[in-house]
Amino acid sequence: MNTEELPMIIFTVLAQMSVGAFVVLGVVQVVAARRFGAAAVDKVTDPALYAIGPALVAGLAASMLHMNDVTNTLNVVRHLGTSWLSAEIVCGIAFAGLGFVFAAAQWFKWATPTWRRVLAAVTALVGIALVASMSMIYYTLVTVPAWHTWATPVQFFTTTFLLGTLAVGAALTGTVMWRTHHRTTADAHDAASAGATVPTTDLLASCLRGLGIAAVVLLGVEFLIIPLSITTLTATGGVAAESATVFTGAWFIARLTLVFAGAGLLAAFVLRYATTRTNPRTLAILTATAFVLVLASELIGRSLFYDSMTRIGM
Amino acid sequence: MTVETAPEARAEGVPRRSFLKWSGAAGGAAALVTTGAHLGALPGVGVDNAVLTTGALSVDRTTWSACIINCGSRCPLRLQVTDGTIVRVLPDDSGDDELLTRQIRACVRGRSMRQRIYNPDRLKAPLKRVGERGSGEFEEISWDEAFTLFAEKLTYTIETYGNEAVYKQYGSGTWNGLLSTSGGWKRLLNLMGGCLGYYGNYSYAQIGTCTRFHYGNTDEQMSNSFEDSAANSKLIVLWGNNPQETRMSGGGVLFTSMWAKKKAGVKIIVIDPRQSDSVVTLADEWLAPRPGTDAALVAGMAHAIISEGLQDQAFLDTYCQGFDEAHMPAGVPAGNSYRSYVLGEGPDGVAKTPEWAAGITGVPAASIIQVARQIALAGPVNITQGWGPQRHANGENQARAIYTLAALTGNVGIPGGGTGGREGYYWPVSEWFPDGDNPVTAKISVFGWTDAIVRGPELTKLKDGVRGKDKLDVGIKFMLAYAGNMLSSQHADINRTREILSDTSLCEFIVVVDNQMTASAKMADLILPDTTTAERWDMAPSEYTGDMAYVIMCEKAIEPLFNSMPSYEMCTQIAKKLGIEAEFTEGRTEEQWVRWLHEQTRAEHPDFPEFEQLREQGVYRYTDPDGYTVPLKAFRDDPVANPLETPSGKIELFSSELWEMTSTWEFPDAGPGDKLTALPEHVDTWEGALEARTNTAYPLQVIGHHFKGRTHSTYGNLAWTKEAHPQKVWINSSDAKARGIENDDLVEVFNDRGRIRVPAKVTARILPGVMSVPQGAWFAPDKDGVDTGGAMNTLTNIHPTPLSKGNGQHTTLAQVEKVSK
Amino acid sequence: MKLGFSFDQSLCTGCKACSVACKDKNDLPVGISWRRVVEYSGGSWQQAGDTFTPNVFSYYTSISCNHCEDPICVRVCPTTAMTQGPDGVVSVDADKCVGCRYCEWACPYSAPQFDPASGHMTKCDLCADYRADGQDPACVAACPSRALGWGPIDELRADLGDLAGVEPLPDPAITRPRLVITPHRDAQPTGTGTGAIANPEEL
Repeated sequence: MNTEELPMIIFTVLAQMSVGAFVVLGVVQVVAARRFGAAAVDKVTDPALYAIGPALVAGLAASMLHMNDVTNTLNVVRHLGTSWLSAEIVCGIAFAGLGFVFAAAQWFKWATPTWRRVLAAVTALVGIALVASMSMIYYTLVTVPAWHTWATPVQFFTTTFLLGTLAVGAALTGTVMWRTHHRTTADAHDAASAGATVPTTDLLASCLRGLGIAAVVLLGVEFLIIPLSITTLTATGGVAAESATVFTGAWFIARLTLVFAGAGLLAAFVLRYATTRTNPRTLAILTATAFVLVLASELIGRSLFYDSMTRIGM
Repeated sequence: MTVETAPEARAEGVPRRSFLKWSGAAGGAAALVTTGAHLGALPGVGVDNAVLTTGALSVDRTTWSACIINCGSRCPLRLQVTDGTIVRVLPDDSGDDELLTRQIRACVRGRSMRQRIYNPDRLKAPLKRVGERGSGEFEEISWDEAFTLFAEKLTYTIETYGNEAVYKQYGSGTWNGLLSTSGGWKRLLNLMGGCLGYYGNYSYAQIGTCTRFHYGNTDEQMSNSFEDSAANSKLIVLWGNNPQETRMSGGGVLFTSMWAKKKAGVKIIVIDPRQSDSVVTLADEWLAPRPGTDAALVAGMAHAIISEGLQDQAFLDTYCQGFDEAHMPAGVPAGNSYRSYVLGEGPDGVAKTPEWAAGITGVPAASIIQVARQIALAGPVNITQGWGPQRHANGENQARAIYTLAALTGNVGIPGGGTGGREGYYWPVSEWFPDGDNPVTAKISVFGWTDAIVRGPELTKLKDGVRGKDKLDVGIKFMLAYAGNMLSSQHADINRTREILSDTSLCEFIVVVDNQMTASAKMADLILPDTTTAERWDMAPSEYTGDMAYVIMCEKAIEPLFNSMPSYEMCTQIAKKLGIEAEFTEGRTEEQWVRWLHEQTRAEHPDFPEFEQLREQGVYRYTDPDGYTVPLKAFRDDPVANPLETPSGKIELFSSELWEMTSTWEFPDAGPGDKLTALPEHVDTWEGALEARTNTAYPLQVIGHHFKGRTHSTYGNLAWTKEAHPQKVWINSSDAKARGIENDDLVEVFNDRGRIRVPAKVTARILPGVMSVPQGAWFAPDKDGVDTGGAMNTLTNIHPTPLSKGNGQHTTLAQVEKVSK
Repeated sequence: MKLGFSFDQSLCTGCKACSVACKDKNDLPVGISWRRVVEYSGGSWQQAGDTFTPNVFSYYTSISCNHCEDPICVRVCPTTAMTQGPDGVVSVDADKCVGCRYCEWACPYSAPQFDPASGHMTKCDLCADYRADGQDPACVAACPSRALGWGPIDELRADLGDLAGVEPLPDPAITRPRLVITPHRDAQPTGTGTGAIANPEEL
C-alpha cells in the first residue's frame, strides 16, 4: 500500500468521481426528464448535484498537500503548452468553476433550462478533459512502463464512471429516503403532499435500474482490463515486469473483492428490489454500501497504481 | 556536570540542517561562546542557501591542509574559510595529469573533511570517567584538572610499577603529519623514562617480520614501482593487491597503476577472492583463491613452472639459497629445498601439483598452469603483493611464498621486474618531529597488548615474541591511546578486548586523546579532546605514492573548536606539571616546531621551497634522482659486493634462521597452523579454508576488505561517507540463496566471539563460501550485545600469528542468517 | 554551444569523490545527491568439484544531470521552474518550483532531487558559478581517476564518440542526454538486462 502519495490518491479518485457523477447526473436528467418531467427529476437530482462541489473541493484540497511549496501553487498553470500537469490543474479549476456556476444556476433558476443544459454539457466536457489530462500525466511518462500504457486512461475513465454511477445512485436514494422521511413527519400537517410519492419512487427505481446495469458493465470492463494490463506488463519484462509484481498479494485481492462485492451487490439487489414498493431506506443502505465498497476498492487500486511506479534507468 | 557523550540520535535522511546542530552547543562551556559565532554561519544550511557560500568567490581566505590518515597515500586539501568557519573543501589545483607531476586529487574521504571537523561526535572538553569503565559516562573537567590527573597517574605508575608498565597504544587516525603523527606524546613519555615499546603494525605485521628471514630487511621488501612497470614490465601481477580501493588518492598508486594499464597497456592479472575494484578497472585476468591459501597457489604454480623447466635456474643458483638441494646451507637434511617441497620429495611426500593446489585454493588447475606459464614467460613481470594475503593465520608464509614466485621467475632487481613485495615508492625526505630515545628496550608485538595487560609477566621472547629482553616484568598499567580506535574497533575480538579493558585491576588507567567520541574513547578513564588538522600547524609528507614524493603544507585554518586543544599543546602543559617543560618544548611552539622541521629538511635539501613559499604553493613535488624504483638492483648487479643482510647474503627461500627457530620457539597452546617453517609452505590453519569445509556451525570464511568509505575506522562516523558507502556484508549469491537472503536484507553474521547486524550485499563479486565485512566500522552494541555498527573485529580471533605474533584478522569462520523483521 | 559531460567508465572505481565533492560544494544534506554512482553487475560462478571459476562483470557509472537535448523534466514541469538555458544547462528556479516532484518521476537518471527542507526540487547546474569563474565543475575536478570531463558536447562527441546507451542507463532516444561514455570492457548495451543494479538504495 502506498501512503506517500495519499494526497494524489485522494485527489485523483475524488476528482474522477466528481466528473463521473456530474456526467451520470446529466444523463439521468436527460433520460428521466422525458418520462417524469424536468421538475420532478430536478427535485431528486439537485441535492446530488450540490454534493459534487464539496467532493471536488475536498479532492483539490488534498491535491494541495502534494505541492511541497504551496506558496508557488499558482505557478502550476504556467506550462500549459507541454505539461499535462498544468492542463490537469486548468481543467480541474475550470470544471470546478463551471460546476459551481451551473449549480448556482440550478438553485436560483438562472437563465432558461436550455442554457443551463448547454452549460451542463460544457461542464461535463471539461470534466472529461480533466480526467483525460489526468490520465495523460501518467500515460505520457515514457520512463514509467507501468503507467505508459493504454490501461492508464482506460482505468481512469472506468473509475470515473463506476464511482460516478455509484455515487449518484447513493445520492439519489439518500435524497429520496430523506424526502420520504421528511414527508412522513410532515403528513400530520399537510396530507396533500402525499401525491408526490409514487412518481418519485418510480423515478428512483427506474434510475437505479439503469445505474445498476451501468455498474455491472463497468465492473466487467475493470475485470477485463486489470488482468490484461498486468499480463501485458509481465510480458514486457524488465522494469515493467517488476512493476507488475505490485498487483499481487492481499491488497490487490482486497481491491478486487471489494469492487466485485460493491458493484455486484448493487446490481443484484437493485435489479431485484428497485421497485416502487421497496422501502427507500433499504435501497439507500444498499446503494450507500455498494458505493463505499467500490470507493474503498478504487482507493486501494489507485494506491497500487502509484506503487507500480518503477522507472527505467537509474 | 555529567556529560552525555553519546552522539545525538539521528536517522539517516535527516536534513543536514538539523544534523549539524551541535550536540551540547547549549552546554555553556567558555569555548562554546567563542565558537558560538560560527553556529549561525555553519556550512551545510540547506540547498537554497548554497549560492551564498558557493564558488570561493567571496570567502575570506583559502588555506592548504591535508587529509592525514593511514590510507598509504596523502592528499592536499584547500580549505575555504569564511568568518572562522570552513565552508568548502577543495582539491589540489596544482600539478597535472602526467605521471610524475600529477595532481593529487583527494578521494571521497578527504573531500568529506568538513563533516569530520564539524561532527556532532567531536570531543568538546576534557572528560573524566564517572561510571563503570566502558559505560560511556563522563563528567566534564577543566584542562588543569585533566593535566594534573594525567601527570599524577603517570608518575604513580612509574613509581609503583616502573616505566615498562606504561604503554602508548598503536593508532593511525592521525597519520603522517610531521608533528601530529607523534603529537608529542612519545617524546613526553621518553623524557619521563620511556615506556614499553611495540614492533610492527596492524597493516603488515607478518610481512614486516618475515621479510628479515627472506630478504634480510627489517621491514617489508618493496617491489618495483608501477611507474617502472609502465615503462618496462610485460605483466603486472596484483596478488591480493587492490590499489584502486585501498589507495584511492588520485595522486598515488590508483593513478600509477591505472597509468600502467591504460596508458602503457601493460597486462594485469589480479589475484583476490573478491572482485575488487582493481579487478573491475585493471584486470585482464582474475584468479580467486580461497582466503589464506596463497602459499598453496604459489606452490601449484611453482610445480607447473618447474615441471616445464621454466624457472630462471641461473638466477636461483646465483642469488638464492634453498631452491634446490644443491643450494642448501650446511647441516640441513636432504629433502628440505623448495624444489623438493614442490615436487613431493620432501618430508611430506606430497607433490604440489596444480591439481593439488586446485583442491586447496579452489582455483582450477588449468588456470593455475596458464597463469604460471604467463608469469614465467611474459618477460619482466612485476609481482606485487598487497597486505591482505599476509594478514592471515600463518600469513608470514603467504607473504614469503609470493616473494618466492618472483625469485623463481628471476624478476628480482631488474627493470620491469619486481620482488613480489608491494609496489615501490620513493620515500619522502622530510624531517620528523624528534621523539627522542626510549630508555625502555622491551618491546611486544603491536598485536600483543591485550596479552600484556592480562598476563604481562608471563610473556617471553620465544613464546610471545618479546623483543629487547627475555621476558616482561610487569603488565601494562597505564595506557595512552592517541588518535586510534584500537580499544574497541580495530583490535581483534572486540568483545574479549572490552572484557579485558573493563577490569580496572589490570590496566589501571586509560587515557584517550582523539577528536571524535569513538567506541574506543568510551573505554577511557580520561579523554583529552584533540583538534583536527585544520585547527593546528603541521606538514604532511607523501607515503606510498610511487615515484613521486611530496610534502604538503598544513596551515592552521581555524581556531580549535569548542574546548579542544592540539596534542602538542597538551603535552607542553603536562610537561609543565611534570617539571620537564623546557626539555620538552626546547622553547618552541607548535608552529615554531613545524617551521624548524622544515628548515632541517631544507638544510639537507636546498631545493625545497621556503616555508612561506610553501604556504603559497601548498604542495612541493620531487622525485628520486636515480629514476624509477627498482629495488635490489645493486644486489642483482653484483651479489658479492652487495649481499643481502640474510645469513647467506642471498635471498633465502629456505631460511637458515627460521630453520633454527623451528626447534627453539615455543607454541604451548598451538592450534592448527601455529608453527614455523623454513620454507614458505602452505600450512592449514585454525579457521582456514580446510576447516571451513568441515565446520558445520561456521562454514563461511570471512575477510575484511578495506573500505572506500573509511580508512580503517577513520571517517566511519560521517553522514556523507556512510551514505555514499553503507556498511554491508558481501555474500555470494549462491550462499545467500541457500539461506533465503536477498540483496539489502538485514542479516546477522556470527560466531562464538560475537555477532554483527548489517544489511547484506548479495553479489557475484565474491567467491562462493566467502564473505567480506568491510573492516573499520564503529562498534555499536545493542542491549543484547549485537554489534549494529558492523565492526568486523566483533568476529575476528585475538590469537596471534606464529612468527610475527601479529594480527591474522582475515582468518575467521562465521555463519550468516537473515534477521526476521 | 551546448555543454555536456564525458565519462570514462573503464576508469571509474565507484569511489564517489565526485558525489561528495558535489555535496560539499552545494551543501547537500544526506538524501540529496546531485551526482550518483550506479554499480551494475552480473554473472555467476562455474563450479567443478572444489573449484570455482568466475564469469562475473561489474562496472560503475557516475551520473549527475545530463542536460538533455530533450529534457523530459522541462517538458513535464507544470510551473516552468525547470528550464534549459542557451548553453543547454537545465536548472531549476526555486522561486517557481511548487515541489510536485513530477520531474522526479519523469527523469530516468534521477537528476532532479527533492529537498524536503525547502519543498523544492534541486539539481545540478553544471556548477554555473564555477564555470563563470573559469573553474571546472566540482565533480570533474574531484575525480581521482580522471574519469569525468565536461565541455561543449559537440567537441566531446567529436573526440570521444556519442555512446550513451549503456546499462543501466535508459535508451538515449528518450531524452537525448548530452553525455558521452567511454565504455567499460564489460559494458552492456541498454536494454540487454544481463546484469542488475547492485546498489539501488544508493541512487
